[in-house]
Amino acid sequence: MVERASPLGGGFRPGSHGDFADGNGVTISEVLKGSIVEANAWPGKEKALAESISATCRLTLPALPGNGAASREGTCAFNIGPGRFLVSGMDEALAGDIIAAIGDETGTVTDLSHGRTVLSIEGPRVEWVLAKLFALDFSLTAFPVHAGRATAHHDVFVQIQRRGEKRFEFYVFRSFARAFAKTLCRAAEDVGYTIR
Amino acid sequence: MSPRRTRTGGLIDRARTIRFTFDGESYTGHAGDTLASALLANGVSLAGRSFKYHRPRGVFSAGIDEPNVLVTLLREGVREPNIPATQIEIYDGLRAESQNRFPSLAWDLGAVNQLGGRLIGAGFYYKTFMGPVIGPLKGTRFWMMCEHFIRCAAGLGRADYEADPSRYERVNAFCDVLVVGGGIAGLMAAEAAAKAGKRVILAEQEPQTGGFARWSDETLDGKPAHQWVAELTERLTRFDTVRLLPRTAVWGYYDGNTLAALERVHDHVARTPKGHARQRHWTIRARDVVLATGALERPIVFPGNDRPGVMLAGATRRYATEFGVLPGNRTIFFTNNDSAYEAAVAIKRAGGHIAAIVDVRPRIGDAATALATEAGVVPLTGRAVAGTKGSRALSGALVQAFDAETGRLSGEARPLECDSLAVSGGWQPVLHLASQAGAKPVWDEDKQAFLPPEPAQRWTGAGAFLGKFSSADALASGRDAGLKCAGKRPSRARLPEIAPEALNPAPAPVLEIRGRGKAFVDFQHDVTADDVRLAHREGFVSVEHLKRYTTLGMATDQGKTSNVPGLAIMAAARGITIPEAGTTRFRPPYSPVAIGALAAERYGDLKPERFTPMHDWHVEHGAEMTPAGLWHRPLVYASAGETVEQAYIREAAAVRRSVGIVDVSTLGKIAVKGPDAATFLDRVYTNTFSTLKVGKARYGLMLREDGIAFDDGTTWRLGETDFLMTTTTANAGAVMQHLEYCLDVLWPDLRVHLTSVTDQWAGAAIAGPQARAVLERCVTGTKVDNETLPFMGIVHGQIDGALVMICRLSFSGERAYEVYCGAGHGQHVWEALMEAGEPFDITPYGMEALGALRIEKGHVTGAEIDGRTTARDLYLDWMLSKKKPFIGSGLMDRPALIDRNRLRLVGIVSLDGQKLGGGAHLVERGSSDEPGESIGHVTAYCYSPALQKYIGLALVRGGKARHGTRVLLSDPLRRRFGQVEVVSHHFFDPDGERMHG
Amino acid sequence: MLIDCPHCGPRDLAEFSYQGDATRTRPDPASTDTKAWLDYVYNRPNPAGLHREYWQHAGGCRAHLVVERDTLTHEIRSVAFARSADSGDAA
Ligand SMILES: [Zn+2]
Repeated sequence: MVERASPLGGGFRPGSHGDFADGNGVTISEVLKGSIVEANAWPGKEKALAESISATCRLTLPALPGNGAASREGTCAFNIGPGRFLVSGMDEALAGDIIAAIGDETGTVTDLSHGRTVLSIEGPRVEWVLAKLFALDFSLTAFPVHAGRATAHHDVFVQIQRRGEKRFEFYVFRSFARAFAKTLCRAAEDVGYTIR
Repeated sequence: MSPRRTRTGGLIDRARTIRFTFDGESYTGHAGDTLASALLANGVSLAGRSFKYHRPRGVFSAGIDEPNVLVTLLREGVREPNIPATQIEIYDGLRAESQNRFPSLAWDLGAVNQLGGRLIGAGFYYKTFMGPVIGPLKGTRFWMMCEHFIRCAAGLGRADYEADPSRYERVNAFCDVLVVGGGIAGLMAAEAAAKAGKRVILAEQEPQTGGFARWSDETLDGKPAHQWVAELTERLTRFDTVRLLPRTAVWGYYDGNTLAALERVHDHVARTPKGHARQRHWTIRARDVVLATGALERPIVFPGNDRPGVMLAGATRRYATEFGVLPGNRTIFFTNNDSAYEAAVAIKRAGGHIAAIVDVRPRIGDAATALATEAGVVPLTGRAVAGTKGSRALSGALVQAFDAETGRLSGEARPLECDSLAVSGGWQPVLHLASQAGAKPVWDEDKQAFLPPEPAQRWTGAGAFLGKFSSADALASGRDAGLKCAGKRPSRARLPEIAPEALNPAPAPVLEIRGRGKAFVDFQHDVTADDVRLAHREGFVSVEHLKRYTTLGMATDQGKTSNVPGLAIMAAARGITIPEAGTTRFRPPYSPVAIGALAAERYGDLKPERFTPMHDWHVEHGAEMTPAGLWHRPLVYASAGETVEQAYIREAAAVRRSVGIVDVSTLGKIAVKGPDAATFLDRVYTNTFSTLKVGKARYGLMLREDGIAFDDGTTWRLGETDFLMTTTTANAGAVMQHLEYCLDVLWPDLRVHLTSVTDQWAGAAIAGPQARAVLERCVTGTKVDNETLPFMGIVHGQIDGALVMICRLSFSGERAYEVYCGAGHGQHVWEALMEAGEPFDITPYGMEALGALRIEKGHVTGAEIDGRTTARDLYLDWMLSKKKPFIGSGLMDRPALIDRNRLRLVGIVSLDGQKLGGGAHLVERGSSDEPGESIGHVTAYCYSPALQKYIGLALVRGGKARHGTRVLLSDPLRRRFGQVEVVSHHFFDPDGERMHG
Repeated sequence: MLIDCPHCGPRDLAEFSYQGDATRTRPDPASTDTKAWLDYVYNRPNPAGLHREYWQHAGGCRAHLVVERDTLTHEIRSVAFARSADSGDAA
């Protein structure tokens, strides 16, 4: 198979940047997911769709607004809109598996493996950095682990899943990824950040 | 030792000396000083010139309400004008300049405006500069001539012409309780809410919490008040659910309990550390808000009240107690209430001399009398200050008998010597935010002040904001407000004991002393009491008109000191009460906000941008990139020495001759899936898609509901229920939104899902006679011959290991293919195509060549589908199905939309061999100076390598009927006037033999 | 201003885009009644007070909502999915 090129370009350089007076505030990295799909249920079939995803991905995905789940192998799924879920995993075959698993009467699946770029940000100051970009409450009570949110930073549409207490994954449209990564890094300069 | 600095006392750090300059002169101050306190300590009384009359002005207040001493800071390579000196914390190396003076503060030429002062009254500019009715300077032209001179003389600080290099940022915050104001009341509220487990943000506009407690000289349970608040503040920092924001002014209260605040993060240090913001804009969404914004002192308006040395009484108290600075050697107090007596005692204790206390009230109470005794004076009751003496500094006050009932002065005016005059007209709660939040303040006759209204949003008041001016009230109401926000009842638990006991600060209803000479209401905009009365005489009696006519309260201080006195004077002129006169609604911002702080990261190099998967290749291969919406696209790939025009002509010619390749990844792409997908497309497109066979594409046109053309593109049927729609680059977002609207609102019963897949696919169009040969060299897994891949056919295969989908489409009119692959493989596939094209000298081409090729073919784009044209205007009537309704079919046949004389699409050819110009008009007669009536305009033009002429597309009245006629091109902006021929817009290969071949 | 999206919860106004009057009624698609079409496309009551409007949560879940809003105070009385709301256009 042909290797997928990263959209982030030369400006996204591994290393430490910004003010390290108080140590490394956050670590930013690109997550090279093998598969990303959007699964979309017909009205009334939300539960059936979530169950199909759960079975295929070996996780427990509640069919509720903003909910999400992640498997031990790192396959994740979260809700991004009414009846809509974003599912991703490291395995390139996963997209095909999900497409095969979800029948026409349940909903549709669209492959976005190339179309979305996933950035991970984690570290003690992650909530501070994200508060600069999004009008979302990132406190753990308002935004629990595994939960998902669809939001926007200006014109950049972003889907976010909380993967840990201090770790988030961002799904951005690939064409916006370079500019978004730059904005994210800029926002992290005051707390110090490492690109990995 | 600075001349006005006390020997001991104050909260400044006397061990730390700080050096700064003001108007180039070096001074020293101490850590904890503001620029205002440091200047006063150095005996600098003249510190500014006024807006209109260039009158000398000195420090008037000690806080955010300062109207007079606005300075320009020179910092990190920027001039920042109009900063109140009372808001500037000094640091080593601070450089400040006074404003609105020339050549210097002491000798200001503009001060001649004072001589004509009587002429420059309210409405002066409106009346004077309307200009004559006729003649060369009629109307606004006269104003435009005068404006230049006026702008030099009037105004505040001068902004820089350079870009602001400061870094700003925006932060979003969420909390249960936002406490605005860090005085005793705010601190108590924050602690009560935090103890109840609430997430709290406390914003204080000053560098330190405490407010009034920092200079009240009170004790709480025997502890100095400032120490007590420091301890409480320290306790608050231990909650991890509390965020304290010092130097943060909450300046806007918006719908949904959304508040805006500005944090001056690094303005108090010489340099903003790298990577940090100088200022930070907060958007705070609070479930509940506690307004503990305190109160501001009002001046009394009297003749000569703007002389440097006249200051608010509370400000003198603050300077003496907090900063250890005396306002002068001999201070006179002038008041209508008891609070000035406490100030007098503070000055006395700090080592100052009180020359007199002048009180408009005929009698005063025992408490005030006792304080006067402590200050060492017998109050002059039933008297008023009717004027002041001095020029650049105050030298005396004229005191006269005054009847508070009638407001009349009588008897001889007695001059009293002084170099400082401290004035108190009572206190006004700071209601700006409550007013912004949507409710009208209520006048309280006893307190002679506007009090907060019933909340229109979720806020609770506390402390002096409520008109409760004592520290004991602040403690209790603050705690109760915090508890209320936590859903709890008021507490009866013991509160600290406060000494000394508070006075009743209710003032006498006197806010103006009418005498001879200019009496200023709004110091910053130079609005006098007479201006207010003039506005009344001329009929501008409503407070909103008064404000706009005189500009009262419209300066950067938002009328903090002038609002109530201005209303009182207007009410008196109208013979009505203050509540009858009403008050204006406060609007954001409460205090000035730098535009940069609002723009933050939306400005400069962090604007959102979109890059195609082949972007880096284009740049490496010499492409000149051009913005297309948020996208960056190659304009041309110019070789050395080539102009843009030469480059695109070469590129377009290569396509017609052999083969070219262009990046079309930016086209909008929408996956349309579901059992009703075909039905859905039939409804949104003017033509039919349900008849389209799997594996084929079709060109489609969409209209808006009003019958105007909206967008065009091809849609590919990839499966029975699976379509891939493409849109124009510019309309991708709008089309998606339109389709989502149709599904959500118009036809929720249709089972169709939409997903934006623009970014999933990289697209490259291969065009030219050799296009098929290029594909044959690199595509595997499928044939690409005419039979397998006819015009509008789709095949799936691979190029160099990457999966591709190829559709035979043509925008250029050549035999052409669009090759799509996963975006992550885009550059890989592009490079493979380049390699396969090498024997045919494959030429990458940009937007300019793409444009030239489509103009030659007469294909329309956004320049022609411009939101005004119909399908018929573009000769796309053949796409309007008669067999089914579709969006726009209801209104597209309206008479005006099918009129024969509408602007319709034609081609034009330059007859003089000169370039055409986009946007140029077409006329039938006239000359370059006086062109005739426009009959249309040019939408696009190019040099056509195929025709070897300058050609263009145009929308012209009558369209086709003009083919073969000659008209004139009028383009005054580009100084171009010449003859063109109107022709069919299908310039090249009108029968499409090349693309079908 | 915040809009309480029934899917996402309260979100900032900046995430939403206005999609017009929600009280209009779209004529039958095949209708040739020009007046009915003109009313649908152009004529708006523009009330001072309560108004029903479409808003799309474009920077969020993408759903179209019917928002009942007071045009005088900006107060939002109710928010519902356009798909389930009993609105004119849904007819
Ligand atoms: Zn939503």
